[in-house]
Amino acid sequence: MPSVILRDTKLQGNLTQKDSITIDGLLLGDIKSQEIIISENGNITGNLTAELNIEVGGQVNGDISSDRIHINKTARIKGKLFHRSLVVDEGAQLEIASTTKKKLNNKSNNVL
Amino acid sequence: MFFKKYKKNQDQVDGFSHLGESSRFEGEIDCKGEMEIAGKVNGNIKAKKLRILESGTVRGTVYAEDVEVLGYISGNIESQNIHLGEKAIVKGDLNFENNLSVLAGADILGRIQKIKKDKLKKVDTDKVKYLDHTKAAS
Repeated sequence: MPSVILRDTKLQGNLTQKDSITIDGLLLGDIKSQEIIISENGNITGNLTAELNIEVGGQVNGDISSDRIHINKTARIKGKLFHRSLVVDEGAQLEIASTTKKKLNNKSNNVL
Repeated sequence: MFFKKYKKNQDQVDGFSHLGESSRFEGEIDCKGEMEIAGKVNGNIKAKKLRILESGTVRGTVYAEDVEVLGYISGNIESQNIHLGEKAIVKGDLNFENNLSVLAGADILGRIQKIKKDKLKKVDTDKVKYLDHTKAAS
């Protein structure tokens, strides 16, 4: 069952999960998962690591590493990106260094 | 007048946050609304309404208005209303203000106390010092 964190919730610490995480709230810390979705109100200070997919519509301060990264138009990102494929929508505010890699080691199998 | 109302609605959140079964979180949780935990949490939780599901495991202190435990918690609970389900396991003290309900089958290892009303209100949870649970975890 995927996790959903709404915008009335603040988390301080590291979150790991096997499947999918959706965050609309505030998180200080790292996330490791298969899929991470940061919605419009989401605010993350920390590194995001996902095996498959990361979608960012909110604010992220930190490094993002995933197979596929999709940056929505409402996103504000500061940090480094590591990915195999990258999509950036018009309007996103970015301050990033982006690196395309053939292979990423983001296995979340040994998370639990 | 209308503007104010609009603003209020913006603050309100429908539904509740959910930490899934395969999730693991180490750190503090501060939720102004409702929260459901089905995974593992190491750390203190502050919420308005907290539900620890059968697969949920919490190690840490809980401050809330309503707490429903259907799973496992190791740590104290401070809340207005506490409900323990059939499969609940609580290792820690229960401090409640209004109501406590325990279903047959629940395990409790700790003290149970009804505390005076103003005592809980004095707990300004914003100022509750976060425990250094990372040390305890390692």
